[in-house]
Amino acid sequence: MKKITILTFAILGLGLVAFTNHGGGIYKTNTGNINFFSHTSVEDITADNHKVKTAFDATSGKIQFSALIKDFEFPKALMQEHFNENYMESTQFPKSTFNGTIENMSVVKTTVDGTYTSKVSGKLTIKDVTKDVSTIGTFTVKSGVVNTKATFTINPEDYNIKIPKTVSGKISREIKITVDADYRHAH
Amino acid sequence: MKKPIILIVLFLIIGSVLYAYKMYNKPHTDVASTEAAETVSAEDIFAAFDHDEAAAMIQYADKVITVEGILLSKDLSNELEPQIVLDGNGYDGFIRCGFKPEMLSKIVALEENSPVSIKGICGGMNGSEELDLLADTDVVLSNCTLID
Repeated sequence: MKKITILTFAILGLGLVAFTNHGGGIYKTNTGNINFFSHTSVEDITADNHKVKTAFDATSGKIQFSALIKDFEFPKALMQEHFNENYMESTQFPKSTFNGTIENMSVVKTTVDGTYTSKVSGKLTIKDVTKDVSTIGTFTVKSGVVNTKATFTINPEDYNIKIPKTVSGKISREIKITVDADYRHAH
Repeated sequence: MKKPIILIVLFLIIGSVLYAYKMYNKPHTDVASTEAAETVSAEDIFAAFDHDEAAAMIQYADKVITVEGILLSKDLSNELEPQIVLDGNGYDGFIRCGFKPEMLSKIVALEENSPVSIKGICGGMNGSEELDLLADTDVVLSNCTLID
């Protein structure tokens, strides 16, 4: 009887240690940052969104983003207007989403301070057009906060973003997207 | 006769350049000095987006509106844009209001579970039923100011 009790506690203890080391559960933020940057010899264009909703499941590695297009703020009001009305048609297509996977979730120890990297891949939807994208994500765990940084490029024409010939020299065909979010354990 | 025509053309060119320059550098909407197009309760605007997002986008998006509701929480996790959250439907629907960093001290002073009145530019509803981790939804306001 004593042996069974000791064995039970040992199994429970090991399970607890395994769970604690790996973390598990959902990590979330509603205040993630996404920046996009377009560079041409004529003009640099940049915009920031600080209200990106994103979460990942530390067990399965599932990771999701949802960003409102109208929340991208440009230094110049006119650029912001053109971006929303002419290119993104953001009243009709208000959101951009990403639904993907942190491929090596097991190497990202969400309860152990440190920096980890993993390939992140999934489906990016802009203007109702969905394409596969992948990049390397850097996960920095510090005091329970998991900071995630990732960069990738997209071609606007792949997402049905039509750029008129008159301004085509001002907008790059390689838009750099930078993601930077501080996740906290949700439940 | 030639001179007046040259002068008119010159005047038109200078006018066009000045207008283009002014448009290129026009400032963002100053929410504080802009009269709200509409005043609506947090519950009503959330219900409008929840019921018919496309129609609510046409009604509210890009407009300066005032939203009145109960302050559920302050989200100061992003120093670039301090935010507050109002109750939208008593469960998983919220109004998320973003402020300029210089408003931080005023936001910190707010009391949770108290009524607040917020003026800001509506950007739409964030979150998606198709993304199971992000199933809770927020109607989002930006460049907000507090109404006393």
